[in-house]
Amino acid sequence: MSAPSDSATATAHAPASASAASSSSGLTFKLHPLVIVNVSDHHTRVKAQAACSGDGSSSSGETQRGSRVFGCVIGVQRGRTVEIFNSFELVLDPVSGSLDRAFLEKKQELYKKVFPDFYVLGWYSTGSDVRDTDMQIHKALMDVNESPVYLLLNPAINLSQKDLPVTIYESELHVIDGSPQLIFVRSNYTIETVEAERISVDHVAHLKPSDGGSAATQLAAHLTGIHSAIKMLNSRARVIHQFLVAMKSGEVPVDNSLLRQVSSLVRRLPAMESQKFQDDFLMEYNDTLLMTYLAMFTNCSSTMNELVEKINTSYERPATRRGGRGAFM
Amino acid sequence: MAMDAERRQAELIGQFSAQAAALSSAPQLAALVLEATSHPALFAFSELLALPALTKLAGTQYASSLDLLRLFAYGTLKDYKSNSGSLPALLPDQVRKLKQLSVLTLAESTKVLPYDQLMQELDVSNVRELEDFLINECMYSGIVRGKLDQLRRCFEVQFASGRDLTPDQLNNMIDTLSDWLGTSDSLLHQIQEKIKWADTMSEVNKKHQKEFEDRVEEAKKSIKKLNNLSRQTSTYGGMTTFSLNLEE
Repeated sequence: MSAPSDSATATAHAPASASAASSSSGLTFKLHPLVIVNVSDHHTRVKAQAACSGDGSSSSGETQRGSRVFGCVIGVQRGRTVEIFNSFELVLDPVSGSLDRAFLEKKQELYKKVFPDFYVLGWYSTGSDVRDTDMQIHKALMDVNESPVYLLLNPAINLSQKDLPVTIYESELHVIDGSPQLIFVRSNYTIETVEAERISVDHVAHLKPSDGGSAATQLAAHLTGIHSAIKMLNSRARVIHQFLVAMKSGEVPVDNSLLRQVSSLVRRLPAMESQKFQDDFLMEYNDTLLMTYLAMFTNCSSTMNELVEKINTSYERPATRRGGRGAFM
Repeated sequence: MAMDAERRQAELIGQFSAQAAALSSAPQLAALVLEATSHPALFAFSELLALPALTKLAGTQYASSLDLLRLFAYGTLKDYKSNSGSLPALLPDQVRKLKQLSVLTLAESTKVLPYDQLMQELDVSNVRELEDFLINECMYSGIVRGKLDQLRRCFEVQFASGRDLTPDQLNNMIDTLSDWLGTSDSLLHQIQEKIKWADTMSEVNKKHQKEFEDRVEEAKKSIKKLNNLSRQTSTYGGMTTFSLNLEE
């Protein structure tokens, strides 16, 4: 299915924003995809509920556009690596701009019971850019964690953008205009996942809408998945090929260890080549074909049956004709 | 996966290369060769072969050590037996290693190795000994992974560590890789065609469905009109016209 192997790491560059320079604290951030799914789910839910309840009162999305969701991110910090595992939602009082502390504490307690190692690492929000009010919330969270992180998800769908619309900000004390101020600085992060998480997130992300369940779209979706997987394999194999050609022509010094690994890789093909496999494969192929044929047969015969009944009904002599049983019996 | 075996060897190779670079006299180098070929975890000898110090051994009385190293890098037990006159006698460790290397060479050519062939190559007489050897020496040391099929008396190899390459084998590898790339390219193309086909077919289907619905609507409307018209004449004649309209 998906090409990345277990514990895949992909560096995502944060999209350009109007915020300050990049961070220099030297912390490495690792983000789990579960957090991203959580945040986007939260945002979608709130947006859908607002749309549902505000139906008829406002036609444009003006009111919804301003709604942001907030929550906490939790995880572990080991030395210089900050790993964000999970997240939960928070209630933000829109008037005063302060968090509901009691709720936060209760949630913390609950999560502590299930995951004793995790603690609150920071908070998240949705939106396209960092706002001034965010700093207040950031400072409020500083008594829970002395240096919280701020995760911003941009919910606007931008088809041309290749990277994840997720940015991680840290707060740093910079001297601006003579007075030290806390400002947000962008940090780089990598996506880190374990096999179980990858499978479940993949499964959730590929849930099809219930009305898009026609056979053609499912087939197309399945084939697209396979297509992209093979494409990635193809590009990697091409790199190895180019490397070998370069080695042969002498541009690259001969590296025996790599050559050995490549030779063992190449020996793995063909992946399956025995008589038994051919037999089993052909048998399964024939079974599938037979089943499709049988289903088609059943469909045809039922359609034919319906047609015959319709003709019978429409051409049936009216009851005034004694013994008239219609012309098609 | 495969890389662990290589990584383990990388340390040993580095170690031996450093030692060989430090030594200068022929008998010491010969002893080093002996040590390298008996080491239980070392299966790669190209680096050692490439060292200039060892190539100097050729032509001296210790040339047999160089030949031995070459045998371990590229040859099998069969080669040893046919040339046993010119090569020094092997220690049991070396014999075992040579057997392992022979298994690797065999695994390079075919994926399914029959027991008979293996027994002949490795000079063992019964299946039990062969299987013990395969399990203990080859699979536990991580150079080979596969399934033993006792009923069909064959060994299906799924993965085998690479041996040292002779220069012409490099060309073979490049050819195989380009074939692989060609196949996967055509496969990608075919998948894309299938996706387009699925989309087109569903479009055609939808259009057909829509046409059908339109015709049914039309027929219903014409029937309603006719019904209103023929309400006065509810004779058999009217019924005929009624049924004729349905035939459309």
